[in-house]
Amino acid sequence: MEKAAGLQALALQWMEKGRSLAGAGVELEIFLQEHRGLSVKAFGGEVESLRYSHSRGVGVRALREGRIGYSYCTGLAWQDVERAVEEAAANSRFSTPDEHNILPGPGVYPSEDLGIYDAEVEEEDSGRKVEMALELESLTLARDRRISQVETAVYADSVSQVAVASTAGVEGYYRHSDCYCYVFPIAREGEEHQTGFSFGLGVKPSDLDLAAVAEDAVERAVCLLGSESMASRRTTLILDSFVAAEFLGVLAAALSAEAVLKGRSFLAGKTGEAIADPLVTLVDDGLLKGGPSTAPFDDEGVPSQRKELIKAGVLQGYLHNTYTASRAGTVSTGNASRGSFRDRPRVGASNMYLLPGTGSRSDILRQVGDGVLVLQVVGAHAGANPISGEISLGALGLLVEGGEPVRPLREITLAGKALDFLRDAVALGGDLRFLPFEGSLGAPTVAIEGVMVAGRGQARS
Amino acid sequence: MIDEELARRVIAEALSRGGDLADLFVERRSSYNLRLEEEKVEDNSSGSEVGAGVRVIRGESVAYAYTNDISEASLLETARVAAAASRGGKTVSIYLERPLESLPALAEHVVELDPDTYPREEKIELLRRADRAAREAGPHIVQVVAALGDSRQEVLVASSLGEMVRDTRVRVRMVVQVVAASDGEIQTGHETPGMLAGYELFRLFPPEQAGRAAAEQALTMLEARPAPSGPMAVVIANGTGGVLFHEACGHSLEADAVFKKASVFMDKIGERVASPLVNAYDDATLTNRWGSFCYDDEGVRAARTPLIEGGVLLGFINDRKRSWRDGTVATGNGRRQSYRFVPVPRMTNTYIDAGDAKKEDIIADTPLGLYALKLGGGEVNPVTGDFIFSVTEGYMIRDGKVAEPVKGATLIGNGPRALQDIDAVADDLDFDTGMCGKDGQAVPVCTGQPTLRVREMVVGGTTEVM
Repeated sequence: MEKAAGLQALALQWMEKGRSLAGAGVELEIFLQEHRGLSVKAFGGEVESLRYSHSRGVGVRALREGRIGYSYCTGLAWQDVERAVEEAAANSRFSTPDEHNILPGPGVYPSEDLGIYDAEVEEEDSGRKVEMALELESLTLARDRRISQVETAVYADSVSQVAVASTAGVEGYYRHSDCYCYVFPIAREGEEHQTGFSFGLGVKPSDLDLAAVAEDAVERAVCLLGSESMASRRTTLILDSFVAAEFLGVLAAALSAEAVLKGRSFLAGKTGEAIADPLVTLVDDGLLKGGPSTAPFDDEGVPSQRKELIKAGVLQGYLHNTYTASRAGTVSTGNASRGSFRDRPRVGASNMYLLPGTGSRSDILRQVGDGVLVLQVVGAHAGANPISGEISLGALGLLVEGGEPVRPLREITLAGKALDFLRDAVALGGDLRFLPFEGSLGAPTVAIEGVMVAGRGQARS
Repeated sequence: MIDEELARRVIAEALSRGGDLADLFVERRSSYNLRLEEEKVEDNSSGSEVGAGVRVIRGESVAYAYTNDISEASLLETARVAAAASRGGKTVSIYLERPLESLPALAEHVVELDPDTYPREEKIELLRRADRAAREAGPHIVQVVAALGDSRQEVLVASSLGEMVRDTRVRVRMVVQVVAASDGEIQTGHETPGMLAGYELFRLFPPEQAGRAAAEQALTMLEARPAPSGPMAVVIANGTGGVLFHEACGHSLEADAVFKKASVFMDKIGERVASPLVNAYDDATLTNRWGSFCYDDEGVRAARTPLIEGGVLLGFINDRKRSWRDGTVATGNGRRQSYRFVPVPRMTNTYIDAGDAKKEDIIADTPLGLYALKLGGGEVNPVTGDFIFSVTEGYMIRDGKVAEPVKGATLIGNGPRALQDIDAVADDLDFDTGMCGKDGQAVPVCTGQPTLRVREMVVGGTTEVM
């Protein structure tokens, strides 16, 4: 791995070389990313796959009279970067000018430790990491006799470095480590099988509690055995924290100022309005200590920050990068986001989460009395539309009567509008948990009243 | 990129600590992306990428390492990392003592208008044509996003089996997304023409056609009533409907899912798994189709693989590891998103073949049901076969006629059960393009089917059937 100072110096050096290459009148931004990772998949007591990755890439943004051009390349040699600078400058000639296309200026980055890197990831022996994947599989199998097998058990970690430098004065560097594990057990009884899932997440291997992950995943699979559909009805939904976090993905997309400005958000024009029950406060915090998406600055070098997007039910504002902020006449919220060096910065959530309430899931069930506890949804990508806010998903879960789960449910669907879900939220638990897969979204157990649940049984109103 | 001698040395290094099979995958990819939004050219991005991955297979275990540096020293070092990861110390069962044999490069999918030389101005004009056609569809069209992507991917695969192949894949695809709004109601429509070809794509699929179709879909859905809930007959239109078979059955026909006992079709070869009307194939040889290629990402020749004929399950699709471990024929379905990934069994162009019926007759023969004209994405649990799909453009069928449009409908059911319940298959096979995700990797695929009817499926909506 390149030395910290080395990578940052490289970004600065190329920005200077690129500046003279592209000539006067072209502003440049160099985004440099280096990534090393290990991932281990266990299956049947053996290592199914062991993957080492090492990638390095550069993204170049060129700005000429309000026109943006972008290019990227792999490798870290000047001749590769040189071509990318030329391409980005050439591409900019063909873009439509827009006065709001500007590169951000220098910012002041937090000096405190954000808890996003731990050398243990690099120091821990890879043999121990392989054992962790195998151990996760065996712990899961041993947990319950109805677990017939484990479809996948994974341990993975990575260390990445990011350096940004621009002709507008941005100059930043950080290093980030993460490690996670997840497992998909299959529970069987007779002809029926159900799958479960759980994961652990941290900045170093010792953050992962394999036994807890195995227990949670097994519980989620076996509790669904014996499931049937139910008659269609309007009822109270109790969303498990994983499911609630998945639903936040719809909000994250709709809260992007890019979607709002371009007519692609059901939350457009609603700032200052009460869009949710007063129980609901939604936070996006790029500085959350040890958070999965925490960094000193965003993907165009603007300092990260914490903001409340929905405060006690009232919509406060949207997520902005430099471009959307200029268009909306405000300042960037530090939410420029790119998938990798291959992508130009767009808008994305950092660590977005619902402020938790109090009580365990059981407490919420007792409070609600009768309803459906949703443990898994299927079709979240297709069935939850962040533009229209319409949600229509398949689900698995437990029927709840008198505050207790009474039987497992499958082949049911939930349908409604995201805004109705927000307005009809009636309880939030204290069990906040982050989901690592859609950026970094966190939610506790959430109960929502009056949702249409459809099933195979005879319909009733 | 790499000659036979260097490839042979890299593979020998990869097998230096033992292993049953090793291969080297080298990739060079250039791509160009354009995006028109609010009638402005916003994204104008090009890139080039080079990388190589070395894999060592020992029994069921795979060790993989990749790098962006394809110099000789770096490739040998990457091979050493993969070899070290594949420890265990068994003897080598296959070793490379003779030179690698290069197979001839094939030119089965002709590119007429090469993306590299097609002018940028013309590419922008294609997007403007789609945009104008969509906006002309009516005043309720509030937003149009038209995006265009082209790529050239050159791959080289060399393996310890003694062969080395090269394949070049040029792909072009347009995505048009239209948003319509009226009285606080927002609806969307989208179209995605794409081919393994150059810009001649737009002679077959003019951008105006994509723009108009996406706009009409959004406008129709503005008028739609909430969909009903409950079990009913479902007629699924040709083209996009194929995504249902892809998700609900196709993934369970991938040999890795079968091996892991995570497939509803496990142990069912030779059995009746579908209505006798169902014939289904995976075919990477279809000329210029979005999911086609000449050699797969493990150097296996592309093929047409029968999956189901006359309702009987004939076979699965596999990769090298599964065909070798299971003692079956390699079907040429070992695919990867890029050098950064280990190949796994993947679909290519997967479809239910045409039948004899006429679409009109199928609808006329349906007293009450849902006509799913366009399906969005969906998800399936491969272990149980349970699926859910969103219907992005749907209509009620009443008394044998297509009636009012309905919104918010989802199809919920079980793959094998739906296959058994197909009671009519029309003669109008058509295809649609998509990006299929599995194990965190996305690869281009076509889904296809003719118009067909499923006797009964649960429709999830927000109202009761009236």
